[in-house]
Amino acid sequence: MKIFWKRIKDELSQAWVVTLKDIKVYYLRPGMIMFGFLMPFFMFFSFSVRREMAAGEGMSRLLALTIFFTAAAAGPFIIPTERRLGTYDRLLAAPMSLFTLLLGKIAVGAFFAIVVSSIAAIVGILFLDAAIAHPALMIVGIFIGSFTFSTMGLIFGSIPTRNPGDVQMPSTLIRWVLLFVSGVFVPLSEMSTVARGISYISPLTYAQDLMNHAVLGTGELALWLNLSVLFLSGIIFLLPSIKLHKRGRVLGY
Amino acid sequence: MSHAIEVQNLTKIYPGSGEGFLAVDKINFTVDRGEIFGFLGPNGAGKSTTQRMLTTLLTPTEGQILVLGHDLAQNSYPAKRQIGLVPEESNVYTELTAWDNLMFTGRIYLMSKADRTARAEELLKDFGLWENKDVKAENFSKGMKRRLSIAMAIIHKPALLFLDEPTPGLDVQSTRAIQTLIRQLSAEGTTVFMTTHQIEEANQLCDRVAIINYGKIAAIDTPEKLKQTFQQVQSVEIAFTSSPEGLKEKLTTLPEVSTVLKIGDKWRLYTDSPPDLLPLLMRFSEKEKLDIVSLNTLAPSLEDVFLQITGQQVGSVSEGPSQQKADRRRKKGKQS
Repeated sequence: MKIFWKRIKDELSQAWVVTLKDIKVYYLRPGMIMFGFLMPFFMFFSFSVRREMAAGEGMSRLLALTIFFTAAAAGPFIIPTERRLGTYDRLLAAPMSLFTLLLGKIAVGAFFAIVVSSIAAIVGILFLDAAIAHPALMIVGIFIGSFTFSTMGLIFGSIPTRNPGDVQMPSTLIRWVLLFVSGVFVPLSEMSTVARGISYISPLTYAQDLMNHAVLGTGELALWLNLSVLFLSGIIFLLPSIKLHKRGRVLGY
Repeated sequence: MSHAIEVQNLTKIYPGSGEGFLAVDKINFTVDRGEIFGFLGPNGAGKSTTQRMLTTLLTPTEGQILVLGHDLAQNSYPAKRQIGLVPEESNVYTELTAWDNLMFTGRIYLMSKADRTARAEELLKDFGLWENKDVKAENFSKGMKRRLSIAMAIIHKPALLFLDEPTPGLDVQSTRAIQTLIRQLSAEGTTVFMTTHQIEEANQLCDRVAIINYGKIAAIDTPEKLKQTFQQVQSVEIAFTSSPEGLKEKLTTLPEVSTVLKIGDKWRLYTDSPPDLLPLLMRFSEKEKLDIVSLNTLAPSLEDVFLQITGQQVGSVSEGPSQQKADRRRKKGKQS
C-alpha cells in the first residue's frame, strides 16, 4: 500500500513538472497567444459590437468563451509541436504513465484558461462595472470548465501527426461549430426546440449556463446538471486521447 | 545474470491502407550487460524502428522484448527508470537554459534536488557546458546541443543507454568527446546500444555489432570476427606517380582482381589472394611504365563486411535486390 501511494505521489509530481516546463516553454509562443489569448477576445468583440448587452451578460459570455477557446488551444498546439521537435519522445520514454503525461498536458491548457479568464473577469469588474452574483461559483466554474475544455483540446493534440497545422485547422473548425450551437451568442431561451436539442450535446452549453448562474444569478438549466455534465465530459474526453496515443505508438508517432 | 536486452521474434509491420510495411522481421538477439552494442544497417533497414520498440516508443506487432530483465509488454515502468535515450535529433528544449533542461529531466526521473543539482553540475563541467549553463539552448551549436542531449539522457545514471546516430554532422572535437564518453560509460558498467551507419565508429567503439538489412539480422558478432569471416574482401592499395586514361579498365582485367576503386590518388583492388596479386602488380607497373609510390595490403574493413552483407558491391551504390524490398510490402492479412 505504501508503495502504491509513493507511486501516486511520484506520478503527480511528474505531471506537475511537465506542466511547469510547458508553461515556461509554450505560454508566450505566438501559436498559444494567437489561438488561446487573442482569438476569444476578437470573437467576443466582433459579435458584441453594436449589440445591446448588459455588462453582466457580456461578461458571462466572455468568460465562457475564454474558458472554452483558451483551454482547448493548448493541446492541439503543444503536442504536435513536441512530436515534430522530438521532445515528446523524451516524455513518452520517461518513467511515468501515459495518464500522468496527459494530466500534465491538461493542466497546461487549464491554467492558461484560468489566467486568461481571470484577466477577463478583472477587466469586466473594474472597467465594465459588472457585478458577480456568486463569485465562488464563478471560480469553481472557471476551474472545472478550464480542465474540461483542456481535455477536449487534448483529443486533437493526440491525433498522430507531427504537424501542428494538421490539428489546429480541424480543432478550430469544431470549436467554431460548438460555439454557434451552444447558447453563447444566442441564449438558450431564444433558441428553437431543434436548436436547443442540438445545444444540449455541446458541453459549452453547460459552461455558458454555469457562468450565467455565477455572474447573473440565473440560468436555464439546473446548476447541478451544469457541474455534473462538465465534470463527466472532462473524464469522457480523456478516453479518445488515450486511445489515439496508443494508436500513435502503433503507427510510429 | 540476465542480459541487458533480450529480443525474441520481434516484428514490426507499419499499418497502411490495405497493405502493411514490414519494417522488422522476426529478429532475435541479446545484448550483454556492460557491452557496447552497435546496430548497423543502411537507411530504412529497420534500425530506428527496432530502437523505438526497445525504448517503448513504438508498439511491436509481434515478439517479446526483455530490457534489464523486465518484459516491456507486461510492465515497462521498471525498465524505463533504468534506461536513457539519445535520439538522432538532439531533442533539447531550446527555450530553456542548459541548467533548466537538466533540472527538468532530473525531476522527471524523480531525482532528489541535491542529487540532480550535483549531477547536473558534474555533467555540465564534464561536457564543457558549465560556462553556458544559464544560456538558452537555442543559442547552442549543434555539437553543444548534442552534448546537452546526452547529458540529459544520463543524468539519472541509466544502466542502459540508447544512442541513435550519436555523431553525424559533428566536428572532430565533438565527435571525439562523445566517443570518449561512450567508452567511459561502458567502463563504468553502463550498457550502450547504439544505432549508426558510421561503420568506422562502430568498429572503434563496439564490443559486438549486429547488421540489419531489409528488417532482418544479417550478421551479429564482434567486428574482428566479422572481418575474418569475409576474407574475400581483402584488398591491395596502390598509388602510381600518374593515372593515365584507361588505367582502371586495365587494372580490372588483372587476374585475381574482383573490383577496382579509385580512392583519392590511390587505387584499391579487391582480391581473394593479395600474395598472388602483388607480383602481378609489379609486372603490370613495369609493362605500363608506371612508377609505384606506395603499395599496401589491407585486411577487410568492417565497411567492406557491411557492404557485402547488405548486398551492395564494394564501390557501387546498388540498393540491393529489389525483390527483398518488394517482399517488405505485404498484405497485412498474410501475417500470422
